[in-house]
Amino acid sequence: MNMLSLFNWLGNTSVGLAIQESNWGIATGEMVHLLALAAMGGTILLVDLRLFGIGMKRQPASRLARELSPVFWTSLAVMFVSGVLILSGETMKCYYNPAFRLKMLLLFFALLFHATFHRNAVASATGTVSSFRSKSAAALSLALWLSVGLAGRAIGYL
Amino acid sequence: MNLLHLCQWLYASSLATTIRESQYGFPVIETAHVLGITVLVGTVAIVDLRLLGVVMKREPVSEVLEQVLPLTWCGFLIQFCSGSLLLFSKAAEYYWNPIFRIKLVLLLLAGLNPLIFHSTIYRSVATWGESRITPIRARLAGAFSLTIWGAIIVAGRAIAYFHHR
Repeated sequence: MNMLSLFNWLGNTSVGLAIQESNWGIATGEMVHLLALAAMGGTILLVDLRLFGIGMKRQPASRLARELSPVFWTSLAVMFVSGVLILSGETMKCYYNPAFRLKMLLLFFALLFHATFHRNAVASATGTVSSFRSKSAAALSLALWLSVGLAGRAIGYL
Repeated sequence: MNLLHLCQWLYASSLATTIRESQYGFPVIETAHVLGITVLVGTVAIVDLRLLGVVMKREPVSEVLEQVLPLTWCGFLIQFCSGSLLLFSKAAEYYWNPIFRIKLVLLLLAGLNPLIFHSTIYRSVATWGESRITPIRARLAGAFSLTIWGAIIVAGRAIAYFHHR
């Protein structure tokens, strides 16, 4: 099964068809996507700024990340579900949209980075001083997630 | 000069005209406004969730609030500036947009909430700030804030779906 037929299948599911026929389906999906963006972006920002030594400095980055991780994973899950629902309402627009393709690629790298280098850098950031490793993890993480957001917003313009 | 005249004057200003006539002006500022949500609402939400006893339960409320507040103000600045530019460029249209009016009222409520919170229950934060379960008035302030900011995001997105004819 190639990607095009997967998109076609998604667009022909009952949920996909219902969203396409509804006036407010896509709009509602986008609103939920934005609400989850606020929470997810907020946790990424607070943890990465802490890795830089900015913001919530009174607790180590490792503890801050652990405290905020339920918010991160919950909002990521909401973004994923709402994202798939939006996609199911406009599969062909997304399939041929270069910003959508770029966003998926960047999202893959952002998640990969989050689960590997970033995760290890956070786990070892138990002190108060930011190491070079902490700062580079934070810079790359912010750059990756920001580019995911920029590409996401660009889907609507292309 | 009434509000409609003010909007028309803003709409006709050279700044607004430049944004409107540039191919990338509005989209670039709008992108900043959308991503700026994370800095403003994302940080507010963490404080609200702490008040509700959901996250950072072991940290005193005042610690969370004081550390997050500078970032929230940065977010407010980003959102206020980008939002004002978006408004100026479409002021004559947004004047008629019912959702835009609702968003302004919601913003007013979102601004009043911390004013009331800080001048009442937060004054005694030293007595309750370290407990996981905060007083009901603090939890109400957190729940109200989350609801209002959520509604502001929803209304903000909905503005674009209403066109004045």
